[in-house]
Amino acid sequence: MKKRNARNWAAMLCLAMLVALLPGCGKSQSPAPAADTTIKLGFLGAKTVNNANYGIPGEKGMKMAIEEINAKGGVLGKKLEGIYEDNKGDSREIANIATKYATVDKVSAMIGDPSTGLTKIAADIAQKNQIVIFSAGATGTGVVEIGDYVFRNTLLDKFAAPSVVDWMINTKGWKNIAIITSTNNGYSTALTPVFKTAIQAKGGNIVAEESINDKETDFTAQITKLKQAKPQVLVFTGYYTEAALLMLEAQKQGLDIIMVGGDGLYGEDLKKLGGKAVEEKVIFYAGFSADQPSPETDAFIKAYRAKYNEDPDMFSAQYYDAVMIIAKAMEAAKSSDPKVFKAELAKLKDYPGVSGKTTFLPDREPLKSPVFLLTVKGDKFPALLEKIPTSAPQQ
Amino acid sequence: MIWQQLLNGLTLGSTYALIALGYTMVYGIVQLINFAHGEIYMVGAFVGLFLVTVWDANLAVAMLGAMAVCMLLGVLVERIAYRPLRGKSSRLSPLISALGASIFLSTLMALIAGVNTRRYPAVQDVGSYALGPVQLSSMQVIILLVSAALMIGLQFLVAHTRIGKAMRACSQDLDASALMGINVNRVISYTFAIGSALAAAGGVMVGVYYNAVWPYMGTLAGLKAFAAAVLGGIGSIPGAMLGGLTLGILEIMGVAYISSSFKDAIAFGILIIVLIIRPQGILGEKINKKV
Repeated sequence: MKKRNARNWAAMLCLAMLVALLPGCGKSQSPAPAADTTIKLGFLGAKTVNNANYGIPGEKGMKMAIEEINAKGGVLGKKLEGIYEDNKGDSREIANIATKYATVDKVSAMIGDPSTGLTKIAADIAQKNQIVIFSAGATGTGVVEIGDYVFRNTLLDKFAAPSVVDWMINTKGWKNIAIITSTNNGYSTALTPVFKTAIQAKGGNIVAEESINDKETDFTAQITKLKQAKPQVLVFTGYYTEAALLMLEAQKQGLDIIMVGGDGLYGEDLKKLGGKAVEEKVIFYAGFSADQPSPETDAFIKAYRAKYNEDPDMFSAQYYDAVMIIAKAMEAAKSSDPKVFKAELAKLKDYPGVSGKTTFLPDREPLKSPVFLLTVKGDKFPALLEKIPTSAPQQ
Repeated sequence: MIWQQLLNGLTLGSTYALIALGYTMVYGIVQLINFAHGEIYMVGAFVGLFLVTVWDANLAVAMLGAMAVCMLLGVLVERIAYRPLRGKSSRLSPLISALGASIFLSTLMALIAGVNTRRYPAVQDVGSYALGPVQLSSMQVIILLVSAALMIGLQFLVAHTRIGKAMRACSQDLDASALMGINVNRVISYTFAIGSALAAAGGVMVGVYYNAVWPYMGTLAGLKAFAAAVLGGIGSIPGAMLGGLTLGILEIMGVAYISSSFKDAIAFGILIIVLIIRPQGILGEKINKKV
C-alpha cells in the first residue's frame, strides 16, 4: 500500500508538471495579440553571478532609452517594451533566453550581450530566427561575421589600439616602446599583435618584448631587463591586477615609466593595488568617459544621475545608444520587422550617440570616435586624460 | 645586470626554500606530500595582512603572529586530515585527504576575504640602496636575512635539540622510534608546526615584497616549492634550501637571458634533467633497496 501510494504521488506530480507546462507551450504557438501594440526588445546580459557589473548598468541604460522614446510617443506609433531576463553570464542560460525571445516573445531585436563569447551564442540563434541582435560590448573577433542580422556598437581594439599608438608616437614622441604580454590571458595574446602591427606601421621601435603570466607576482626579472632596454613607454596588454604589480615593481627598482594598455586595465583594483605607483602613470583607452561631456552626452549623464543616483559607465551608454539606433532604423525603414529594418541599420553613418560617434563600415563593424584615454588621478578613477580621434582603418 | 638578476633570483629562491622546507620535513618523517602546505603559506600571508591592517602591527609582530597561527593550523590539519588515516589505509588516502585540505583552506579563505588580490599597506619603508651595479631594496635585505636566520635556526634545532634528535630518529624508522619510547605523534605534530611556521614567515614576507595576497596564491607557490624540494632531494633539509635557491635563480636567469615566455619551461626543463641524472635530487640520499 505504502509503495503504491508513493507511485501514485509520483504519477500525479508528473501530471501536474505537464499541466503546468502546457499553457506555456500553448501560448507560444498562438499569435500573441499584444505583439501588434508594442515593439519588443529583449535584453541580453547578466544581472547576477558572472559579469553582472556589465549587465546591471546595461539594463539601466536600456530602460532609460525605452522610457525616453515612449515619452515622445514611441516608434511608428507603437510603444517600445523591454524584456529583461538574467543570463547569469552562463552560455546555456543565454541560449535558452535567446530562444525564448525569438520564439515566445517574438522580439524585434535583442540587445546585448556585453561579452564576446555569449554574444556569439545568442547571435547564432538570432540569425537563424531572422531577428536583429545588437551587442553593446563584444570586442572579440568573429561576431558580425555570423550573419547580416548581427551588429555591435563598441570601441574595437583594432581601431582603438592604432589610434593610441599614433598618439604615443606622434603626439607624445615616444618612439622606443617596450611591450609586455600575459601569455595565459587570451585577451592579452590577442591584443599584443594588434599593438605590434600598429607600432611597426607608424614607425615606432619595439625595444623590448617580455612575457608574464596572470596571477604571478614575481616580475623582478622582467623589470630589470626593461631598465636595461630604456624604453620611453611600456605597452601592457593584460589586466589591471598584473598592471598594478608591474608598476609597483618598476617603482621599487626606480624605473619611472608610463604604461599604456587596453580596457583590460579598467578595474577598481588598479587603483587599490597600485596606489601611488599607477597615479597618472597607467593610461588605458575606453569608449566612454563621464568627464568633459559633449552636448549629447551631457544630457544623458545628467538624466542618468538624476534617475539612478550614480555615474553612467560605458555599458549603460552603449545599451542606451543601441536602443536609440534601432529605433532610428525602424523609423527610417517604416517597419519594426527585422528583415526590413536591418538594411537601414547597416547604413548608420556618423550617429552622434552618448557613447561617441558611430559609423557602420561595409562589413557592419562599428567605427567609433573618439577614443578616451583614462587614468587614475588622486582618488578619481577612472579620470579622463585626453580625448583622441580614432584613426581611419586601413582596409 | 647579471648581479641584479642574481639578487632577484636569490630573493625569489629564499621564499621557495622556506616553503620547500615544510614539504621536505613532513615527507622525511611520514612519507606524505602535504599538499595543504601551500595553503598554510597563504593563510600566513593573510594573518599577517590582518594584523597589519587591523592592529597596525609592524612587520616583525605580523610575522610572529602569522607563524603562531599557522603552527596551530598546521597541527590541526595533521590531526584532522592525516592522523586518522595514518597506518590504517593505503598511501593514497592521505594524499587525497591532503588535496581536500588544500581545496578547503583556499576556498574558505576566498569566502572570508574575497577572491580579489589585496595589497599590504606600507609596513616597511621601501628604501633602496645602490651597491655598485645592484639596486638592493630594504625588503630584499629583510627576506634574505630572515630566511637565512630561520634556516640556521632550523638546522640547529634538528642537529642539537632533543626534539631534533627525535625527528631524525623518526625519519629513519617510525616504528623502531615508537618502540624506543619516542612519542611519534608528538614528533609529527612538532614537524608540522615548524614547517607551517616557516611557510607563514615566507607568506608574510612575499606579501609585503610583491604587494599581492590572494586566496589561491598557495597553489602555484606550493607547486614550485614542492618542485624545489624534489630538486634538492626530498627528505633532506639542506637539499630543500639548495633546491629553493636553485629554482629561483634558474627561473630568473631564464627570463633574463633566454626568454620570459619560456620562464617555467626552462626552470622545469632543467629540473627534469637534474632528476634524470640524479633521481634522488641534488642532496638526496640514494636509497638502496635490499633484495
